[in-house]
Amino acid sequence: MNIMPILVRRELWEHRALWIVPLVIAGLIVVAAMFPHASMQIDSADVATPQKYRDLFALFHAVLTVPQLLLLSVLLPYYLLDCLYAERKDRSILFWKALPVSDAQTVLSKLLVALVVVPLGVFVLTLFTDVAASAILDVRFHNSPMVRALLHWDTGIWLRTQGLILAAVAVAVLWYAPIAAYLMLISAWARRNAFLWAALPPLVAMLIEKIAFGTHEIAKLLGYRLHLPSGVLGINPAAAGGHAAGMFDTMRPWVAFVNIDFWLGLAVAAALVWLTIRIRRHQEDG
Amino acid sequence: MTQIIKARGLGKSYHGVRALDAVNLDVEAGRIVGLIGPNGAGKTTALKAILGLTPFEGELEVMGKNPYVERDSLMREVCFIADVAVMPRWLRVYQALDFVAGVQPRFDRARAEGFLSKTDIKRASRVRELSKGMVTQLHLALILAIDARLLVLDEPTLGLDLLFRRQFYDTLVNDYFDKERTILVTTHQVEEIENLLTDVIFIQRGRIALSTSVEDLGARYVQLTASAEQARLARQLQPFHEREVFGRVVLLFEGRSPQELQQFGDIRTPSIADLFVAKMQGDAA
Repeated sequence: MNIMPILVRRELWEHRALWIVPLVIAGLIVVAAMFPHASMQIDSADVATPQKYRDLFALFHAVLTVPQLLLLSVLLPYYLLDCLYAERKDRSILFWKALPVSDAQTVLSKLLVALVVVPLGVFVLTLFTDVAASAILDVRFHNSPMVRALLHWDTGIWLRTQGLILAAVAVAVLWYAPIAAYLMLISAWARRNAFLWAALPPLVAMLIEKIAFGTHEIAKLLGYRLHLPSGVLGINPAAAGGHAAGMFDTMRPWVAFVNIDFWLGLAVAAALVWLTIRIRRHQEDG
Repeated sequence: MTQIIKARGLGKSYHGVRALDAVNLDVEAGRIVGLIGPNGAGKTTALKAILGLTPFEGELEVMGKNPYVERDSLMREVCFIADVAVMPRWLRVYQALDFVAGVQPRFDRARAEGFLSKTDIKRASRVRELSKGMVTQLHLALILAIDARLLVLDEPTLGLDLLFRRQFYDTLVNDYFDKERTILVTTHQVEEIENLLTDVIFIQRGRIALSTSVEDLGARYVQLTASAEQARLARQLQPFHEREVFGRVVLLFEGRSPQELQQFGDIRTPSIADLFVAKMQGDAA
């Protein structure tokens, strides 16, 4: 009996923000596209060559979708910090433990929600938002030749852009996996105020390092991990000429798989998940 | 007889305090066992060990399995209600049904729906919108629809009014219990369950103070109610407890025959509640 689907559904019942917020934002983007005052300024030089047109087309569709994906950086940490804390706070942990679900299955189902189900779900949602918003703009700006040139649908470029975004999402999710596992660990461990406890260890570690050695190595390491370096996604700003529009032309998310830091992060994530399972196993009521 | 629970030298300490100490326990299939003790006696600790929620010292087998090591598979055949408060408040009734049906292969959804249809509980309600009694009804509907071999109830009726408490135990005995199943129940409201138990285990300060079947209780213990005069004579037979009620003396004897005692006054088998009070006070003195 594969119980993962029902465990995932349970998470979405409890943490409704995970799907309500993305739906609301998607709705707002579609509504904004209908807004009468929304205007688009396009210089004819921007679409002068096929290359420029392609870059701008990719950028246009990325602009319609990426804000929704950035939303994940707020939704998911909040979810991860709450997912194993809430069941202890409301004392329902014994209700869940009375059922034949192992601690490993419980913890992994929550990780699956944070790293696969929600990111993938939001990505699919962005495709609908993008198509809907593009169609609305197409109807509204049918008198503007410049905008029409931009909106001229090119399935090939669109698929390539969305494929790159999906690959970038996958790499980003795996890059952040150790952070996600750390937040889950705190969620399983903290007796109260999981948010404070999540922030405290890194801050204390940084302070001790500063006092003891006068260095900032931990801060640098954290900064490196928290701020997804463009190099990890294979983006070469120099090659893109500093233009956002050229970004998709140089992006190579798969270079992450030959990045040692990427794999180190995954190893740390696996260790933290293992520890989280152990902690939940030892948790009795109160 | 199939042995459901077997413990030998079961022990557990919390921060240096012995919550359970050298406990031996045998529970056979088809029994309703009351685990009775004052607050803090170790009842809940014993149940947690049996349910695989806590590591323990000594030997413990539940249906032939070590509960701590094999909790997940054990939970297919064991059900428990710890306290009504533990159902998550955000959960909707239909979600509770979906979830249990999804993870528990021995859950009979139609049976649970049948129980619920006799109540006022709506499928779309959240647990937080239900009264405490309704939450218990829901929990019970879920648990009773699971074809479990062992049902563990830890103070299941705490905080419920008398009507719900009575209904709870009636449903348990009439709709659930059969000779294949075993129920282990803890409570400190002894009077409430004494008529349905087949076995009693008294636990005090982490140790078993008494473990007997209810049938054997009558053969082992006699309660004598006598006048002060007669009581003086009866004391030579060494009662282990006595108290005064309306000017008459109530004496409890262990291992004395009714024939020996009936000359002094009225005799009967003591209630579990009386026996419990006597045992706990006697040992505390």
